[in-house]
Amino acid sequence: MSTTAAPTRRDTKKVGPRAITYTWAVLCAITIGSWWLAPGHTTNTATPSIAITTAVVLLGFIKGRLVIQYFMAVKTAPRWLKLSTDAWLITLWAAVFVIYLY
Amino acid sequence: MTNTEPTAIASGPPASISSGRQSGVHLPGDGHMWFMVLGDLVIFGAYFIVYIVQRSMAPAAYLQAQQHLNITIGVLNTLVLVTSSWFVAQSVQATAAGQHERAIRLLYGGGACGLLFIAIKACEWSMKITQGYTTSNEFFMFYYMLTGVHVLHVALGVLILGIVVRELRNPRRQRLSVVEQGATYWHMVDLLWLVIFGLLYVVR
Repeated sequence: MSTTAAPTRRDTKKVGPRAITYTWAVLCAITIGSWWLAPGHTTNTATPSIAITTAVVLLGFIKGRLVIQYFMAVKTAPRWLKLSTDAWLITLWAAVFVIYLY
Repeated sequence: MTNTEPTAIASGPPASISSGRQSGVHLPGDGHMWFMVLGDLVIFGAYFIVYIVQRSMAPAAYLQAQQHLNITIGVLNTLVLVTSSWFVAQSVQATAAGQHERAIRLLYGGGACGLLFIAIKACEWSMKITQGYTTSNEFFMFYYMLTGVHVLHVALGVLILGIVVRELRNPRRQRLSVVEQGATYWHMVDLLWLVIFGLLYVVR
């Protein structure tokens, strides 16, 4: 069909297929790792854990940033979009953490 | 929103590609979709903050209720949605490379995962309701509200992916910007789920 398409365009090349697959693999690995952390996993009464909540906040931030940067291709987007999405991520997870500790 | 841009991929770089002012900078989709996505992120962000504020007032009761969620179902649903995003992200790249048939197949994969997510969520809800966990419990009120609003977004996302497939099937309407818009919405659905998963299923 389209033979004149431009697979070599630099602007869509930056986040390549390999980066997308790595992103998917890391997201899956973190998700499977979360299985051990969750309170629903234990049959005993779950106890609160600042360490686990800290891990949830950090991993949640990392997962969100991977989705935004690589799946949403914000890595190669204009600056205003990078700043807005980062501001959302940082504000959300920082607020969650501070409110949890408070 | 998108019909003002008649350029087909096959006839050269679409108008959206030239949105970057410098080499390598490119706004995926268009500003309208991003305006909606950022707005939705802020609204959901407010829901998440309200939830964590309420949770911090009665952490023991919330934790006790959280234990009744099935973490295996939560993990499975997360893997399904992350995989759907993987398909959709590849579909954008296939479209950019002019591989429209492959892009359509990948969108079908993404949409199928979306439907699977909805099915798993429906099973989870019916299990919880039959087990007696209803909105009378404060944690479960948040659980039904957050996952309910989110699953509506998944359903809308599946519809949007269907519209993108319809566009790609018409050789004169194969625009990268349309695929990117659909993908941006779809990834937002994935992004929101990752937060919901962490806050409802894993936080202690």
